[in-house]
Amino acid sequence: MENDIIICRCQEVTRQEIIDAVRAGATTVNGVKRRVRAGMGLCQGKTCERLVAKIISQETGIPMDKILPQTKRMPVRPVKIGIIGGEEDE
Amino acid sequence: MNRPDVIVIGGGVIGSSITYYLSKMGKKVLMIERKDSCSGSAGASDGVVGYHTKKPGLQMDLAIQSIAMFDTLSEELGMDVEYKKDCGGMQPAETKLEWQILSEIVEEQRKSGVDIRMISMKEACEIEPQLNPDLYGALYSPTSGKVNPLRLTFAYVQAAKRLGAVVLYNAKVTDVLVKMNRIMGVETTKGTFYADQVIDAAGSWSAEVAAMAGIDLPLRPRKGQLFITEPLGPFMDVTLQCARYNVIKFKPEAVGDKAALRMGSSLSIEQTHDGGLVIGSTREFAGFDRENTLEAMETTMKRAMRFFPALKDVNIIRAFAGLRPFTPDGIPILGETEQVPGFFVAAGHEGDGIALAPITGKLMAELLVQGKTSYPLDAFSPNRFRKWSEEDADVTL
Repeated sequence: MENDIIICRCQEVTRQEIIDAVRAGATTVNGVKRRVRAGMGLCQGKTCERLVAKIISQETGIPMDKILPQTKRMPVRPVKIGIIGGEEDE
Repeated sequence: MNRPDVIVIGGGVIGSSITYYLSKMGKKVLMIERKDSCSGSAGASDGVVGYHTKKPGLQMDLAIQSIAMFDTLSEELGMDVEYKKDCGGMQPAETKLEWQILSEIVEEQRKSGVDIRMISMKEACEIEPQLNPDLYGALYSPTSGKVNPLRLTFAYVQAAKRLGAVVLYNAKVTDVLVKMNRIMGVETTKGTFYADQVIDAAGSWSAEVAAMAGIDLPLRPRKGQLFITEPLGPFMDVTLQCARYNVIKFKPEAVGDKAALRMGSSLSIEQTHDGGLVIGSTREFAGFDRENTLEAMETTMKRAMRFFPALKDVNIIRAFAGLRPFTPDGIPILGETEQVPGFFVAAGHEGDGIALAPITGKLMAELLVQGKTSYPLDAFSPNRFRKWSEEDADVTL
């Protein structure tokens, strides 16, 4: 398997970088994210979360359903600051 | 690992830094972390490495020594911690009253010999062109910097491992073993470990750990909510806080707005290496709750637009919260406990853990290895609270 393919497109994180993060001790999607930024970009891991979990599973032998998904936080989609804070200027 | 010399409880920025400096001084260290490094507060923090947000006196003295250490950190640890030296720190004031309060604090801060000054809005806007010119004036600290807190923590962990430290993740400390008033070791969900010295560096959770050794620490979590924007091109250099940040931190009695005071809400904003802005924050006593609230999000975004009007069209992509370990006197707890010799505490930095991590690690390592430190830690002793009456320790905020 090519290890230089990009798994997280938003942050341009390769499969190799994710493997390295797992070897450095990450056992969760959050753990990979904190080490190499996979899932920290604009889409917030919507695309790469399962791919990252799969790599963790392959590297550690932990079954897929036992790998903790990343913490879900607001906002679910990007929201403009002006919408949240009210556009007082206009 | 055969019997370690030292067990460090907590894999956050403080525990990792201590583990590194102890390993560097030749100690065999076992670092035990409940979940993962940066899963607590170090991973839910901004990266301000500034002088201007420090309390005059002790905390400022520590900050000066710590910030000097950042200069060579990436090289020393063998990993880029994304430290941006001299990016500057700024705190615009909205009113004459805020300006006066800030000026008084600055006067005290300058006694430590750091360059912090009050500047006009014209000067402030020349430094940060996106800033709203319709403000009163600003505090400016040209030599303050910023860092990536996650990379800082992991850099310490990796460097410590290369020096022989052992890191145990997903291991929760279930008991601290004390025999004849002397530390013996710790019991965890992954086994029992023995050492002559144990350090409690569990941040907001350190009071729980200390309680297992029979020690009462008046430390509690204070929630700070943060919000992240989509990545932008170069938008700002300084780390910026509104004047209320320092006023709430040092003179809460001067804040008129009760809701703002309850949430401890003030603006703190910086652009990360990646381009996204980190916008915060609040100071709330909400137990160990780490949820975000719409109220805090709304209030913070209003403040963000007040200082940077151009932000109204920028997207927020994520919200999170960290628990800052609060102490009643605003001073970290660093030292050996007199009740249980061999049991040390290094916690209670509240919002200054990132900036103070290098000096905390260095001084704690000196204390454990040599029994004395290059900078006196007497005022930071965990034993200072024993003299307090019940009434003094009860902080109402």
